[in-house]
Amino acid sequence: MAAGLLPGVRVLDVGQGISAPYCAKILAHMGAEVIKVEPPEGDAARRIGPFPGDIPHPEKSGLFLALNINKYGVSLDLASTEGAKALKSLVADVDIVIENPPPDTLEAHGLGYETLRSINPGLIFTSITPFGNRGPYKDFKATDLVIHHMSGHAQGLLGAVDDPDNNPPIRAGGHQAELVGGMAAATATLMALYRKRMTGNGSRIDISSFEAMVNQHISGLAGSAYGRPAPPRDLAQVQEAASAGNVSAIGGILPCKDGYVAVSPREDVQWERWLVIMGNPPWATDDRYTTRDARQRNSPSLWKLLSEWSSNYSKHEIARWGQEQRIPCFAVNTVLDLLKDEHLAQREFFVDLNHAEAGPLKYPGAAYRFSHAKLPLAARPAPLLGEHNQSILENLA
Amino acid sequence: MTMNDLPLHGIRVVDLSWIIAGPTSTRFLAGMGAEVIKVGSARRPDPSTGSPPFQAYNQSKSYCSLNISDPKGLELVKQLLAISDVVIENFAVGVIERLGLSYEVVRAQRPDIIMVSSSGTGHTGPDKDYVAYGSLLQHYTGWNSISGNQQGQPVAGGLWADPWVGMELAMVTAAALNNRVITGQGQYVDFSMAEALTAALPEAILDYQMNDRVPERMGNRDALYAPHGVYHCVGSDRWVAIAVTNDEEWSALCRLIQRPDLGSDPRLTSLEGRREHQDELDAAISQWTARYEDYEATRLLQEAGVPSGPSLDISRVFNESQLRDSGYLKPLQMRDGELRDLPGIPWRFDGGEGPNLTEAPVLGQHNEYVYQELLGLSVDETNRLVEEQAIY
Repeated sequence: MAAGLLPGVRVLDVGQGISAPYCAKILAHMGAEVIKVEPPEGDAARRIGPFPGDIPHPEKSGLFLALNINKYGVSLDLASTEGAKALKSLVADVDIVIENPPPDTLEAHGLGYETLRSINPGLIFTSITPFGNRGPYKDFKATDLVIHHMSGHAQGLLGAVDDPDNNPPIRAGGHQAELVGGMAAATATLMALYRKRMTGNGSRIDISSFEAMVNQHISGLAGSAYGRPAPPRDLAQVQEAASAGNVSAIGGILPCKDGYVAVSPREDVQWERWLVIMGNPPWATDDRYTTRDARQRNSPSLWKLLSEWSSNYSKHEIARWGQEQRIPCFAVNTVLDLLKDEHLAQREFFVDLNHAEAGPLKYPGAAYRFSHAKLPLAARPAPLLGEHNQSILENLA
Repeated sequence: MTMNDLPLHGIRVVDLSWIIAGPTSTRFLAGMGAEVIKVGSARRPDPSTGSPPFQAYNQSKSYCSLNISDPKGLELVKQLLAISDVVIENFAVGVIERLGLSYEVVRAQRPDIIMVSSSGTGHTGPDKDYVAYGSLLQHYTGWNSISGNQQGQPVAGGLWADPWVGMELAMVTAAALNNRVITGQGQYVDFSMAEALTAALPEAILDYQMNDRVPERMGNRDALYAPHGVYHCVGSDRWVAIAVTNDEEWSALCRLIQRPDLGSDPRLTSLEGRREHQDELDAAISQWTARYEDYEATRLLQEAGVPSGPSLDISRVFNESQLRDSGYLKPLQMRDGELRDLPGIPWRFDGGEGPNLTEAPVLGQHNEYVYQELLGLSVDETNRLVEEQAIY
């Protein structure tokens, strides 16, 4: 089996932070040869944690290490004549350039798309910015937090709350909006690469992380296109909608001895099996809980009864009982649970890499396995700053 | 770009998937020029049929009716696979094999086909048969456990898994297509929805190993930046999100909210200092934001150079002029007589024409095209198969 899906494909990752490096990491996972170009002070992600002992160290940022697996690394001062010249030489020999300006805008150094295309006419040039190069917000400054909120994803995350004015919408943990921008970029770039194979034509690709996040809300957008109101955040309004039959799913998380378990015995047949798991409690015959509609209407009191029961058991225990009865039911896993998870272990999901400065660590791998290609998920750890200056820059024509 | 210039022009995809993740993945492929043939049956209709989301998930596709459980129906789908490049399915593990369409069978029709199989927890391993809805599966992946208010419980909401996986499936399909051009080799892809979400939590996974701790939930706060949150504006449940990521933005914010005292406070000149005193900063910022509508606060903050934006619900997102001016939301003439702004594809090539976006089909709309034009059946043969409920 050949290593990876993209033998011979070469990529220049001129991005910093999260979105562009994540896009380039995906291509590296797929088997492309990726050269990461950092400014002399290093990628901004090197200054973002987690760090061992919470002590910042440019070679020990967990975020940087994870986003730059399997890349070669060079450092270049693009403001200098030699740096710009080196970049042009590198561009001449790659299929794809990925950037996410600012702070180090290629354009400002005379290295914009038109210049690079004149060096490499078949170039695929992928640019990721918060709002793309179009529309009234194109110059707006945004971060993961801002995009999360503007794209509508923060509104639904907590579920319904008692008092929306005292319980604001929140973003998801990690850097999900930035990752979505990077994934959209990788998807579009791989499509452009296919077109290049078929026609010889390069592409200029413009990615808006905001738009990519909005697109993750496709179900809601469709509802809006049909005049549906946004789902309420106010618990009282949600219950009103439920009693009018407008909310169909019963589900949520229950407290356990050691955390939480997520369950959804929504169908009548599932509910009957769920009652067996709970040992057919006497309240189950109460009119408030005998039909699906009634359970929906009375879900707050029902949830209280379920919680009283679940608090006596462990989350993994309940998840196993539920799954044995074919009821959608999962332990609310923490990262510790995941690192110990037997299923993920058997699928070899985590990959081990030993980094010269950060030491041996387990990194999340990929969600996909290909029957006829082994992905180079653990070919090499993230590069040290300037690690390949000598081997790559000194060999430039 | 004309249709012929779209990247996936010439690729034919058989879409056996249903509900959300699979259909949204083939929508990306169809939008970028692939011919996507959705295969469904009145016996077991796609659960989203008849709902507004169906109209978005299934844009730009053809739709034929076919009962795969019928031996003649199975034969037809095999003939279709023989002239296709990609097949995508997201049934529970084992179902596609029971239907008689294992990768071995599929590959026998077309040796270099790319078969993408997506399931909740993947197709190997002890938990592969887990019953999974996307919203619950998120809990298994760790995704929900890292999100929530400080001291609060993990978040209950967030429809994240299906749309994320939809895009990632399109991505792996594009990667496999590239490989096929380079090597001539087809692929079977075992995709795990759960792993897709777990792979998006590298900070938390590495933090545990580096520091022996399960990271705490932080609400809107950040491990590095401060101030970092949402602040109440004029109106009920109206907020503006503000993230200060450097000293320059901090100075600009202090000038804007007319708090030079904070700007010159030596306790607050560093990131660490601002993190330590963020309750105090949040109170000061809230006093300012409370005087403005969320969009007005955003305008002033952006003019000052501070990353910011309103916290919108989906109706307000839908009304954003950004999405129309950028060409993402575009009016589409629908068979109900209405013109509706439906979502596009979240990227642009070369500033040229947009993607291929047409109205979602109805079941059986393209039967004549698929069975007569593509598979070469006569009208009589087609009618007989309809009577026998193989085409159904």
